[in-house]
Amino acid sequence: MRRAIVATEEATLAWIAGLANERLVDFPQTGPAGGLRFARTSPDDRLTFADYRPTVLPPGKTFAPANEVLFTFAHQADGSFRATPIIDRRPRVLAGVRPCDLAAIALMDHVNRDGDHPDPHYLARREATTIVAYRCSKPCSDRCFCAAVGSLDSDEGADILLTPVDDALLAEARTPTGEALMADLDGTPVDDPAPLVARHRAARPQPFGRQLPGSPDDLPAALERSWSSPLWETHTARCLSCGTCNLVCPTCYCFDTHDEVDLADPNEGHRCRDWDSCMLPEFAVVADGHDFRPTVASRQRHRVKRKFEYLQQKFDSRPFCVGCGRCGAQCTADIDIFDIASDVLKQHGGTP
Amino acid sequence: MKPKIAFFDFASCEGCQLAILNVEDALLDLLERVDIVEFREALSEKAPRYDIAFIEGSIHREEDADRLRDIRARSRVLVALGACAAIGNVQARSNATAPAVNLARVYGEEARDRVQTDPDHWPLWAHTRVRPISDVVEVDYYLRGCPVVPAEFVKLVTALIAGSEPRFAREPVCTECKRAGNLCVFARGETCLGQVTWAGCGAICVTQGYRCDGCRGLLPGANLEAHRQILRDAGLDDATIDDRYDLFCSAQRQPQQRRGAGPGGHAR
Ligand code: SF4
Ligand code: SF4
Ligand code: SF4
Ligand code: SF4
Repeated sequence: MRRAIVATEEATLAWIAGLANERLVDFPQTGPAGGLRFARTSPDDRLTFADYRPTVLPPGKTFAPANEVLFTFAHQADGSFRATPIIDRRPRVLAGVRPCDLAAIALMDHVNRDGDHPDPHYLARREATTIVAYRCSKPCSDRCFCAAVGSLDSDEGADILLTPVDDALLAEARTPTGEALMADLDGTPVDDPAPLVARHRAARPQPFGRQLPGSPDDLPAALERSWSSPLWETHTARCLSCGTCNLVCPTCYCFDTHDEVDLADPNEGHRCRDWDSCMLPEFAVVADGHDFRPTVASRQRHRVKRKFEYLQQKFDSRPFCVGCGRCGAQCTADIDIFDIASDVLKQHGGTP
Repeated sequence: MKPKIAFFDFASCEGCQLAILNVEDALLDLLERVDIVEFREALSEKAPRYDIAFIEGSIHREEDADRLRDIRARSRVLVALGACAAIGNVQARSNATAPAVNLARVYGEEARDRVQTDPDHWPLWAHTRVRPISDVVEVDYYLRGCPVVPAEFVKLVTALIAGSEPRFAREPVCTECKRAGNLCVFARGETCLGQVTWAGCGAICVTQGYRCDGCRGLLPGANLEAHRQILRDAGLDDATIDDRYDLFCSAQRQPQQRRGAGPGGHAR
């Protein structure tokens, strides 16, 4: 059993802020034009757990940022070629991570570590990062459906888990790194955290957030049956193919790469990686201009099947949609994967 | 031999050339690699042929169109520099009203009458239609925006010198806005053209707290019908919506014959 204590919220926030004296710390804070974002803190920032709503971008995206230089390269005078990878191993604390985002990080760890192409850039940042997670007591928005897809109670990947109980916080160290980090947090030791966690759960509203009209376990089969359903057109008539739903999703990880050569010396340059989006019209265009997903309906169907069918089958995992509600909330056309999944279940969900 | 680069301006504020003069770090490297042979803002040398011609400004008179055709004939690669050249910019809004009305509005009724009766002033009368340069000549690349994004200029020149194909994503501003982590303007109860506008600016206006007004032009294939409905739902009436699109993109919305490649693609 690792260390568990009960601390005040004030002491916990001061402790998190204090961590920034020695390390990089990212915590949800309001950005310049509004909206929460995981941003670098400094020791005298006033942090708060109150008024949480989903950050515009999920925290896991920081392990493979929007635009990143993967390596620099040079054609050398002797004819040889040199490539120097850029790997970011700076120790960092990611604090205030909510359960849905934690579940997403666990999935992305899986993809980037155990998939066909382990990603050294992602893994270096991930391994240098200590995660302090925070369990939700109430739905973060009217769009969330974490409980319906089973991510509300996820704890995999957390080094420290904070659970609000009554007016205080239960802080549990889950890993040796977490335990070391928690040494500076004062509180009352707890022998058995289980009853406190149970109390936290009992105090949550029931049902918690939006509920699907069926089990997410039925979605893979229902999606298979929905292939030529008119629901794909119905749900995408207003779609602008803007890519937002992908870019804000904690389990979208597609990217594109390109090389940029230096103006001063065209023998040198760097390879860049940028987030891509399968809702963008050109995503599935291949050589010779052929597009294997030419309609917006086919692209939306692909996105939903990635979240609720393809990837969970490929990785033998939970659904890749963790119910954070970001895509629906940020889609200006008000297209919500929850509504689509609901219709798929209602119309193609097998025996009622 | 270093490639010869030239800049020409037509109807514009010359702000795009200025924006380029401001990329001081890259400018020194650039001057090592290319010869700038014409640059109204900077020098006055002339050359018979150009490797890359940057065209700033929209085309208003037939003599401007002739000059542009002449530049095209002498240039290996021709680039539209900024919104005026690429999409006609704000001045193309004057196409929606009769030339006589515009003349009276800007210069008064006396001036309007004179251009129609006094042969010395007839050339001014020929200023009848504002065109993006692609209405007159074939355009190889577009540097969009009002003003252009200096980094895109550097990227294009670097690629052309290196003989590689520059990469300009054909996607809406929202993609860059989300990568920047911005809260959507619509979430503040305001409206935005980012969903239907060519990216490349890094969503600078939204990032700075404003909204996207579409200076980089309407993205080909954008679902404008759906976008209009979203703007209506946000409380705008159709006249306001048309005004918003027309601020920078009126020429893209006017039915017209295109002789060049059209502002649709970056590629040749
Ligand atoms: S965010 Fe909405 S409008 Fe944009 S691509 Fe996704 S579903 Fe379409
Ligand atoms: S699909 Fe939407 S709701 Fe599901 S995890 Fe992604 S952003 Fe969140
Ligand atoms: S979706 Fe659920 S787990 Fe995620 S922040 Fe909201 S309430 Fe918490
Ligand atoms: S603010 Fe504008 S550009 Fe940004 S996501 Fe919203 S609609 Fe798109």
